Amino acid sequence: MQIKCEDRERIFRDGSAEQWAGLELHAASCLACAKELQAWKSLSVAAQELRDDQESPALWPRIESALAQQAQQSALHKPWLERLSFWRSAPSVWQTALAGALVLLLALTAGYLYVHRHPAPGPTETYNPLLRDSKVAEVERAERDYMQAIDKLAAEAKPQIDTPDSPLMANYREKLVMLDGAIDELRMHAGQNPSNAHLRYQLLSMYQEKQATLQEVLETKP
Amino acid sequence: MGSVGLTLPWEHRISPVAREGTFRVQPAEREAQGNPAGRTPEDAALAAACRAGDLHAYERLYRLQGARMRNLARNLLGTHSDAEDAVQETFLKVQRSISTFRGQSSFVTWTFRILVNTCHDLRRSRTRRKEFVPDEREDAAMPAEPRAPGGHPSLKLALERAIATLTQQQRSVFLLYEVEGFHHAEIAAMLEITETASKNTLFQAKKNLRQTLEAPRSSQAGGA
Repeated sequence: MQIKCEDRERIFRDGSAEQWAGLELHAASCLACAKELQAWKSLSVAAQELRDDQESPALWPRIESALAQQAQQSALHKPWLERLSFWRSAPSVWQTALAGALVLLLALTAGYLYVHRHPAPGPTETYNPLLRDSKVAEVERAERDYMQAIDKLAAEAKPQIDTPDSPLMANYREKLVMLDGAIDELRMHAGQNPSNAHLRYQLLSMYQEKQATLQEVLETKP
Repeated sequence: MGSVGLTLPWEHRISPVAREGTFRVQPAEREAQGNPAGRTPEDAALAAACRAGDLHAYERLYRLQGARMRNLARNLLGTHSDAEDAVQETFLKVQRSISTFRGQSSFVTWTFRILVNTCHDLRRSRTRRKEFVPDEREDAAMPAEPRAPGGHPSLKLALERAIATLTQQQRSVFLLYEVEGFHHAEIAAMLEITETASKNTLFQAKKNLRQTLEAPRSSQAGGA
């Protein structure tokens, strides 16, 4: 192979064995190329000086210990999905069979749960702020009876309330006026929203308060 | 190195007899031998054993490649201590990510890729730690160059200093090829570059090294 000086760098960069042999041959008769070739080869030889075969006997035990520790830690914190990684190396037929079995199991479980599902809880079992019509009628009936009973109580206490003979009685009167006002307002709202149980509960507590006040008035009878 | 002559040009200070089995001049020498990609049945078996968590397999990897790994790390990082840390970290990374190894390259090549990246990371973090030190230079981690009165530094130290002036890629390619004896296909896989890029980088690295190594002599001759 005929090699010229201008081929030298190309051979240094990416020359074949044959081209290198040609360059050696050319360098025998070319001083410049001989010098360059010598310098180029010298770098490779000099690089061997950077090899350090010094033993490090403590290193492997250190690495081994660190590897064992890491393996232990990763075994403890291994996600459950990774614990099934052995299936990756199983034959694809087995993988398909397992996947099919899992799908079948899932379908059977879902079917069983659907068939044996519990009925939804009825309205009486849970607190429902919106009462049904029949329940509203029942509540209103009970409320009427309760009001009539309280009216009887109020009629009995009326003489003391109308002519209060003490500051305490005057306070009771004032409280009863306020309770009647609140009851009227709540009844008006309950009339607009007859199914609202919350209003009914508030109304009931007002009646109870009025009943208790009237009882106290009667108990302070001279 | 007994033949170092302090008054000769740097290339004349090199022993004419290279270490047995390590001398490397012509790139085509090694490519012609064996499997250039390094994917041998032994390599695959070693990878499989490591994947299975066999600590003896890691020990075998260390016995086979540990010295080369330590050497490369020392040349990239400058100290034995850092090199040992890098090798240990590499083994831990291999263990952590062995499940992602798909065998596109040889297991050894893959391990060295991790090592090179680990060394670069360590070097970067070390540079960050020292960034507040005034006049900090990249090659400052290399040992100080001892000079004989009126003479040349030892070849090894001169070469280490010259290598420190190379770019990261040039340094890696030069060390992997010329010192550790990998061929371009392996280096390309390690550094995730093409074989041509590896060859070009090596060529440029050697040109730069020659310039750096020749500079002191010419300046000294000029001053005389």
